[in-house]
Amino acid sequence: MLRKLIKHEFIATGRIMLPMYLILLLSAVGANISARGLLDNKSAVLETLGVLLVTAFGFATTGVFILAFVLMIQRFYKNLLQDEGYLMLTLPVSVHQHIWAKLFVSAVWSIATVLMVTLASMVVAYDIGVLRELPDLLRMFFHGLRLLTPSEALNGTAVLIEMCVLCFLMLMDFCIQFYASLAVGHSFSSHKMAASVACFFAFMFAVMFLIPMLFMGLDKIGFFNFQWNPDPVVAVHLGMLFTIALALAYGAVFYGITTFFLKRRLNLE
Amino acid sequence: MSVLECKGLTKRYGRVSALEDVALTIEPGRIVGLLGPNGSGKTTLIKLANGLLTPDEGYISICGAAPGRETHGLVSYLPERTAIPTWMSAKQLLDFYGDFYADFRRDVAEEMLARLNIQPRQIIKHMSKGTREKVQLIMVMSRAAKLYLLDEPIGGVDPATRDYILSTIIGSYNPEAAVVISTHLIADVEQVLDGVIFINQGRVMLQSTVDQIREDKGMSVDALFREVFRC
Amino acid sequence: MQWQFSNDAPIYTQLIQQIKIGIVTGGFPPGERLPSVRDLATEAGVNPNTMQRALAELEQDGLVYSQRTAGRFVTEDHTMIQTAKRSLAERHIHAFLEAMIQLGFRKDEIIQLLEQELGEEEKHVSA
Repeated sequence: MLRKLIKHEFIATGRIMLPMYLILLLSAVGANISARGLLDNKSAVLETLGVLLVTAFGFATTGVFILAFVLMIQRFYKNLLQDEGYLMLTLPVSVHQHIWAKLFVSAVWSIATVLMVTLASMVVAYDIGVLRELPDLLRMFFHGLRLLTPSEALNGTAVLIEMCVLCFLMLMDFCIQFYASLAVGHSFSSHKMAASVACFFAFMFAVMFLIPMLFMGLDKIGFFNFQWNPDPVVAVHLGMLFTIALALAYGAVFYGITTFFLKRRLNLE
Repeated sequence: MSVLECKGLTKRYGRVSALEDVALTIEPGRIVGLLGPNGSGKTTLIKLANGLLTPDEGYISICGAAPGRETHGLVSYLPERTAIPTWMSAKQLLDFYGDFYADFRRDVAEEMLARLNIQPRQIIKHMSKGTREKVQLIMVMSRAAKLYLLDEPIGGVDPATRDYILSTIIGSYNPEAAVVISTHLIADVEQVLDGVIFINQGRVMLQSTVDQIREDKGMSVDALFREVFRC
Repeated sequence: MQWQFSNDAPIYTQLIQQIKIGIVTGGFPPGERLPSVRDLATEAGVNPNTMQRALAELEQDGLVYSQRTAGRFVTEDHTMIQTAKRSLAERHIHAFLEAMIQLGFRKDEIIQLLEQELGEEEKHVSA
């Protein structure tokens, strides 16, 4: 059933995201044409057109990020907490599956959006100087890589992966925190949206209050007093892993809040 | 086994009781009217049966199980409002129901849609309100469920649509399934019902059958309702 | 068939009456197969259980009979149909007499009135 939920979530969101990607790519082609000559053109009309095309690309890039973000929140709100919720929450699937489907699809679109913007930027840059220098840049990069020791290369890659995992988890945390705010806010019998916004800020406040408390508490019990003096590289890994664990715990708390409110405190209008 | 059973069922919103100590059982093969004025607790009861609300006290069960993922597969629910995603086409909606409900009879739904001249490519958002209600009802009645919970299926529709809805409900009759129709428009549904439950201010006032009431009181259920709930 | 229901009597007794009228007037000819319970219920717009109950009662009276697999049939016994016709007529007459007596008519007045009405109707028919 999770697979079917994900499939239908992609159908529902794809009809909005895919056309937006198409607009992004078209605007990138426009910006490319513009950069190839329109901007330095003698004709005022063509130059204005060039400026417009570049601006359009700027808007499309901002737009696609905003859209991916808005859609992530709006799908949860509209599909589960408004009229469609009557259908969705009476399907033979569990609340957990609903949340995982929404999280997974949001994550895919977030990553796809980053990739699409990268691709669009390459389209803009295509064959206008920047790419001509790319082989040299790559050569320098690989030359630099060859100077690394195997240990440096391994640790570098590991930190890079840890960074990616952390970024991904933070994105998911951000997402589930929004879900939790909406789920709690919509358990009120009126002013549901206002309550959701209030919940969001209450959560932010709680987090800003509790995380320093957590660190202080951990410090007090001597968590950061290592008996041994770790190697700086090891210290970086440990720091990263600790942050990842923290991000996981953070997400788990809000996941728990979201499922509890959707299961036990649901109050559809 | 009863299709729907509840005992001591109580639900409060804040300090206000929406349902108070409700006990009832509904057997397979019955078409039961859940009758009461607006705000009497009809929708609350149906939402509890669908797991959209959690009881404060007592219990409610569908085919012996508490509302949840398993019972959702046994219950076909028509909410008061349009819950089908309106951006979908008729065909996408058929795909959706087919994917999630093992008991969805796509051929039955397709035939009913065709009889209303609804094209598979038609978008639900572009249909009239009456057509949208019919499409939603077709989806609900095309499932071979154990319990159909229809919340105000004829509220706010024109007489022709109402007749269509009622004859669809009768035409889908299955002796192994029960149908619950919640409404305050009793005269319109009276002939379709066998059992009736009067509910007011969250309490069950009367459980009987249409013909029992007519035989005992010499009046229609509608007339009795007006007498009981006179303002 | 035209199905109509009043508010003062149980629906199943009204169904029995109306099916009887159908049989007596040839809407459901003798020996013919009746539609299924579901089809009859849909046509009349009534609950299938109520329709089932009405048919079961008609079966007990002998006006319809069922064959295990083929369904329900109207009786071919013409005397039985005549009896049913007669009893329907009696019901109408009883109701009529009750209303007339309530209006304050005596027996001889009722007969006189009836003869007058029938005479006029005859004139209408012959004219």
